[in-house]
Amino acid sequence: MPAPYTGGCAGGAVTLHIAAEAFGASQCWCRNCQRICGGGPAHVAIFKAGDLAISGALRTATGTADSGNATHLNFCAACGTQIHGGSAAVPELLAVRLGALDEPHGLSPKMILWTSEAPPWAVFDPALPQFATQPSGPAE
Amino acid sequence: MTYTGQCACGAVHFTITAAPIAVRQCWCRRCQKMAGGGPAHNAMFPTEALTITGPVAHTGYTADSGTAIHWDFCPTCGTPLLAYAPVARPHLRAVRLGVLDQPNDLAPQMVIWTGEAPAWAVFDPAIPQYPAAPPAPAPKAN
Ligand SMILES: [Zn+2]
Ligand SMILES: [Zn+2]
Ligand SMILES: [Zn+2]
Ligand SMILES: [Zn+2]
Repeated sequence: MPAPYTGGCAGGAVTLHIAAEAFGASQCWCRNCQRICGGGPAHVAIFKAGDLAISGALRTATGTADSGNATHLNFCAACGTQIHGGSAAVPELLAVRLGALDEPHGLSPKMILWTSEAPPWAVFDPALPQFATQPSGPAE
Repeated sequence: MTYTGQCACGAVHFTITAAPIAVRQCWCRRCQKMAGGGPAHNAMFPTEALTITGPVAHTGYTADSGTAIHWDFCPTCGTPLLAYAPVARPHLRAVRLGVLDQPNDLAPQMVIWTGEAPAWAVFDPAIPQYPAAPPAPAPKAN
């Protein structure tokens, strides 16, 4: 499904509009993603931050990645829905939660990250490349 | 049987002193929104077995059945904590599996609302799947 994308939180207080195409999408089983995503993996699509327009109140949780870079996770203040996150290392990009995009958006995960932290019952799509941690590179 | 847990920022802590009644993976569209695009994982515990400390924020909605559902989350980090129906099922609390410390012995026993899952979803072939809500539990034998 081509851009633009629309979306929002579970409660409807936050809406988003994304003007341009995603760079890719992934599934992440790192322990922190499991915590903020109800016990399963996170699913994100990467967009240019400048292509996002958001209305409604977001709250931000800041943290530090293993790399030392500052991270920020942004969720709806009213219902907690995770909307997007990013890293100080790549401020021009934002990882938008696939759950926050309206269906049908046509985006799907193309790789699976942090399988080493997945619970024993996790099932992975055998068609996708898997990484025990994350692929090496500049991104978080 | 005791489970402990916490949210991503550590402001909210859990202690649970019972075994769960059921553990389910749910692909309903609302769960996908809350859970970052994948399914929610819920472990159903008796309400009285659960102790939560720390600030908790509430949201909620009315299900198609008319049942009022509450969702609790950490106001500081957004971590989803609980779902429950305080009027219809006051004796149960569904704890989001992600907050419980690992390793633990919990795993989903069924997949529900597969009818709302995205095309790319994969399901564990070893556990039962239901296209919508699961069938009601069998009545107690005694
Ligand atoms: Zn992750
Ligand atoms: Zn919201
Ligand atoms: Zn928290
Ligand atoms: Zn659900």
